[in-house]
Amino acid sequence: MNRLRNGRYPLSLTAGLVILGLIALLVAGAPLLAPHDPLEQKAAERLEKPSASHLLGTDRFGRDVLSRTLHGGSMTLGASVLALASALAIGLLAGLVAGMFHRTWVDVVLMRIIDTLMAFPFMVLAIVIAALFGTGFIHLLIAIVSVWWVAFARLTRSVVLQLKSETSIAAAQVLGAGTTVILMRELLPRAMSPVLILATFELGSLILTLSALSFLGLGAQPPSPEWGSMLADGRDHFLQAPHILLGPTLFIVMTVLAFNLIGEGLRDRLDPYERAKL
Amino acid sequence: MVYVLVRKLLAAVLTLFCATLILFVLTRLSPGDPVKVLLGRSAEVAMSDTAAYQQKADELRSQWGLDQSVTDQYLRWVTGLLKLDLGNSMHTGRPVSTEIAERLPATALLAVAALLLQLVLGLVFGALSAISAGKWSDHVIRWICVALASIPVFVIGLVFLLWFAVRLGVYEISSEASLSRLWLPAVTLGLIGAPQIIRVVRANMLAELGQLYVQSALARGLALRLIIRQVMRSTLLPVLTMASLSLAALISGAVVVESIFAWPGIGKYALDSILLKDYPVIQGYAFVMVTAVILINLLTEAVYSILDPRIRRKGVATSESTA
Repeated sequence: MNRLRNGRYPLSLTAGLVILGLIALLVAGAPLLAPHDPLEQKAAERLEKPSASHLLGTDRFGRDVLSRTLHGGSMTLGASVLALASALAIGLLAGLVAGMFHRTWVDVVLMRIIDTLMAFPFMVLAIVIAALFGTGFIHLLIAIVSVWWVAFARLTRSVVLQLKSETSIAAAQVLGAGTTVILMRELLPRAMSPVLILATFELGSLILTLSALSFLGLGAQPPSPEWGSMLADGRDHFLQAPHILLGPTLFIVMTVLAFNLIGEGLRDRLDPYERAKL
Repeated sequence: MVYVLVRKLLAAVLTLFCATLILFVLTRLSPGDPVKVLLGRSAEVAMSDTAAYQQKADELRSQWGLDQSVTDQYLRWVTGLLKLDLGNSMHTGRPVSTEIAERLPATALLAVAALLLQLVLGLVFGALSAISAGKWSDHVIRWICVALASIPVFVIGLVFLLWFAVRLGVYEISSEASLSRLWLPAVTLGLIGAPQIIRVVRANMLAELGQLYVQSALARGLALRLIIRQVMRSTLLPVLTMASLSLAALISGAVVVESIFAWPGIGKYALDSILLKDYPVIQGYAFVMVTAVILINLLTEAVYSILDPRIRRKGVATSESTA
């Protein structure tokens, strides 16, 4: 209980959760809240400035930017969460196995793969995959997951190595617990807290990376409303009509901010020592 | 120490080797046939020309070594890499290595300028934040960092472009690399990476300020200025790691900024090559990027092991606090 009271920035956690809740409400309620059809094109209302009927203006096809932003959120956020969950699962498993079988060939091979992937910057791998397999949202997500799990694997492995020397693990072994039981019952639960803190931050940076890659035209292809593809779409007209990027940008910034604040708050609460480190 | 360095060098070579394997496998797995990409699909060729098409395709296949076995192809590619031969661009027909070498300086210049800015911002504001920990200036810096870390690079880039090039007209929109055009992309990139460095500097300084020697120096009445200088010195080592990570990220992450400001670096080159389906360029670009990252890491580890006596002896970084 002391930990809860000692939280130095309870504000960041609350603020992050409130922002995230608001965004989730807006995105989930898109069909009810959106004033227009996100796909309806009106040639007469192209690139209109924000007005009473189009609060965030219209894009180059006369589509309502606000409606598109609200509708696009579910795809962007859903895909980001899915990508992160996959990376988390792969990373957690690889990290547990590598840590458990430390000093065996399993660990050596896994670490070799991890070291190699660490040398591949996201942008580079995304560009390679887009060039070889074609641009598209799915390809982009595959590129992201195939590199992103490494961060989780490394963290999990180091936590496992640290925990392995503890008496409780030795006690479990003495009591005859098998490798699987030790992994699942002893190591996994205790590795979760630092990994989840990392995941909150990583989700924010994953959304940022996803949007940057989409902005470069490597992501979802029009006309589906997705924040990243809206950015790519509005890019050419940005200098004449800057408002068309306002909607998706605002939502991306707020979402990432929310995750960063939550991560910040969680770290302070769950792991008081980390504060001194980071 | 030599032993440690040799071991690191071997590890780096091994990583590079694994990276070439991954790149090669990825290229082999790709559904597109480079011959068809260059010649157009066989179905699109007039019936009378099928024989000629086939002949030309076979010629290209043997010229690129695509008719050999997979292992031969890999060996051929890797021996080429060792001779700095990255193949020829399918679009321009010029050697990829030459085309990349022409564009590398622009990217390097941008990345180094951005890194310098990050370091200056990081050291100044990180130290400021650590010294005034808990006070309002520390809070302001931390909140600005959190906010800045939430903004996508391209948003800052586009806003800068709109403001400085369109509204104020002080920035020239063109596609040339010149020193007068460097500052805006460099500031954009520098601002994005600054929060991380500020955090690391702050955290390490705080940890150092809590050390017993600092307390005792304070108790003995040593001037705060001298203590801070001492603390800064031991903070610099973790910052070096951060800077090298940052440089690696900058070289590849420059793609977005290069694209926005039409800065003719290799990121933009690779991006343009995606649409052209220029496989040798993409492969070469990836290889150069991975090599650069590995080299930067190796160099950092070398410098580290020279500076830090603990690593010099054991070959293991004990300071995990740099995360």
